[in-house]
Amino acid sequence: MLLDVLQGAEPGGFILIQDTVKCTGRGILKCFINAALKRGEDVHVLGFEASETEVCAGLDRSCVQKLHFHKGFPDPLGWMCRSSFTVDQLTSQHITKLIKDSQHAKAPVLVIDSLSLVLRHHDPVVISQRLQVLRKGGDIKTIISLLHSDLHLHGVVGIVSHLASTVISVAPANNEHHAVATTTRRSKSGKVMQEEEYFNVSEDMTLSVQAKLRQHGHVQKEQKVAEVSNAALILNDLRWRFLL
Amino acid sequence: MFPELNNILNSTPDSFKSSDFILVSDRQADASFLIHHYLSFYLRAGCKVCFLGLVQSFSHYSAVGQRLGVSLAQAREKGQLVFLEGLKDSIGAILQEESSQGTQHLSYLRSPGAGLKGLFRFVESSVRQNGDHDDGESWGPPVLLIDDLSVLLSLGVTVGAILDFTLYCQATMCTELQGNMVILVRCEEEDADDDEEGANLLQRGLVHQCNLALHVEGLPTGYCRDIHGQMQVWWRQSGETMYNPRKTFHFKVHDKGASFFARGTSSAVL
Repeated sequence: MLLDVLQGAEPGGFILIQDTVKCTGRGILKCFINAALKRGEDVHVLGFEASETEVCAGLDRSCVQKLHFHKGFPDPLGWMCRSSFTVDQLTSQHITKLIKDSQHAKAPVLVIDSLSLVLRHHDPVVISQRLQVLRKGGDIKTIISLLHSDLHLHGVVGIVSHLASTVISVAPANNEHHAVATTTRRSKSGKVMQEEEYFNVSEDMTLSVQAKLRQHGHVQKEQKVAEVSNAALILNDLRWRFLL
Repeated sequence: MFPELNNILNSTPDSFKSSDFILVSDRQADASFLIHHYLSFYLRAGCKVCFLGLVQSFSHYSAVGQRLGVSLAQAREKGQLVFLEGLKDSIGAILQEESSQGTQHLSYLRSPGAGLKGLFRFVESSVRQNGDHDDGESWGPPVLLIDDLSVLLSLGVTVGAILDFTLYCQATMCTELQGNMVILVRCEEEDADDDEEGANLLQRGLVHQCNLALHVEGLPTGYCRDIHGQMQVWWRQSGETMYNPRKTFHFKVHDKGASFFARGTSSAVL
C-alpha cells in the first residue's frame, strides 16, 4: 500500500507522515518529493525546519529544477527579516498566489516541512481549515506534510489526522536497517484500509518495501474463507452420516 | 576534558565534527560534568565560545575548569569566552523598572510569554563579534553552550518558545557559521501520559533537532560506589537513513575527570 500511495498521489489528497524521536519521517517525505519530481510534477516545499541543502540532498538532480523551495528556514518566524516564507503566511491566499506566480501548466504538489512548527504558532482548527480550503481549491494537486506526533497533544494529532486522506506512521523495527510504516488510507467512499510494512530509504531517496507484516483487510478475508470451509466440511459430514 | 569520551565520540580538540547540535540530558542524575567536558574541549580547540550559564556562577565553572586544565578567566579576558551569568544578571533585570537595552536578553524574566528573541540576539551578536588571538589569528568555529535550558520552563517560558530559540540558534550557529551547539536539559520522571508541557516534551523536541544525544541516568539497579550512572549515546544521522546507532556506557566521575566503560566492565566487577 505504501508504494501505491507513493506512486499514486491522488488529486485532492492530503498525505500526513507522522514520526517520533524513535524514527524520523523526513526520509519518507523526501521519497515522496523525489517520486513527484520524477513524474514531472512541480513541487513547492515550504521548508521551516531544514535547510534547502538538506532537503535537496539525494534528490534526482535531473528534476531538481521543478522543485521550488520556499525558505522558511533559517528564519521561519521572521525574527531576522530574512525569510521568504514565514509560518504566518501559511494561508490559502498566500499559497494560491505563490503557485500562480510560478505559472505551472498543471497543479503542483505542496510539501510542508513540518506542520509541527506551524501548529506551535497557530490554532490547529484554523490550520486544518486552511488546509481543507487548499485541498478543495483546485490549485494544488496533493498536499504532503510531516508531523512530529510526539510533540503535540493527542487531540491535535487527531484533528490533523482526521483531515488527511492517508496517514503514514513510522516506527523503528527490530532490524536497525529498516523501519515499519503503518499506512491508513481512506477512500472517497469512506472505506478505510490499513497496512503495516517494513521499508527502507536508500541514499538516492528510493523507497523500497521489504515485506508485509499484516494487512487487516486481507486477514479478515482469509478468516472468512476458513469459516466457509469449516461449515462446508461439517455439512458434508452430516450428509454422509445421513446417507449412511 | 575526558579522553575516554573523546574516543567514544571519535573526536579530539584538533579534529572534531562541525555543524553539530549535541543534546545532553539527564533524568534522576546529574549530567553537568558533560558540560564541563565540552567547555574545556572547545576552549582547548581554540573555538570562540558563547556560554549561557543559567544555573551556576562563573566562579563555579571556573573552579571546575581549573581542575580540567583550562582558565575561564583568561579565556574571557582574551575574548575567546563570552559568558552570560544568568543568576547574577537576572537580579538586575528583575529589579529594573523597565527593560533596558542592557538587559533585553533577559526580557523573558519580566515577560515570559514574549519568547526568547532577545536571548537569541545576544547569542548572535556574541558569536559574530570580531576578535582575534593575541598573535593575530582568528578564533575557530563558534560554539554555543547552555546550562541548563530546562530552567526556563520554571520561569514561565513555554516549550514552544524554547524550541523556536534553539531552532534559530541551530540555524545560525550550525548551518550558517558551521559551529557547534551543546545544550543541557533536565528531564522529569517518565510518565505514560506524557502529553503535557514540561521538560520531557522539551527534550523530545530537542532530540528531533539534534545530531547527537547524550542521555545520563542513574543505574536501574540503584546506587553503586564504583559506577555513578549510565550514559546512552544516540547518533542521530542527517534524517534520511533508518539506522541511528545507540550505545550505552557506564561512567564514574572523578575529581579531575570521568571514566567511561562498556557495561559490565567496571574494574569493581572484573
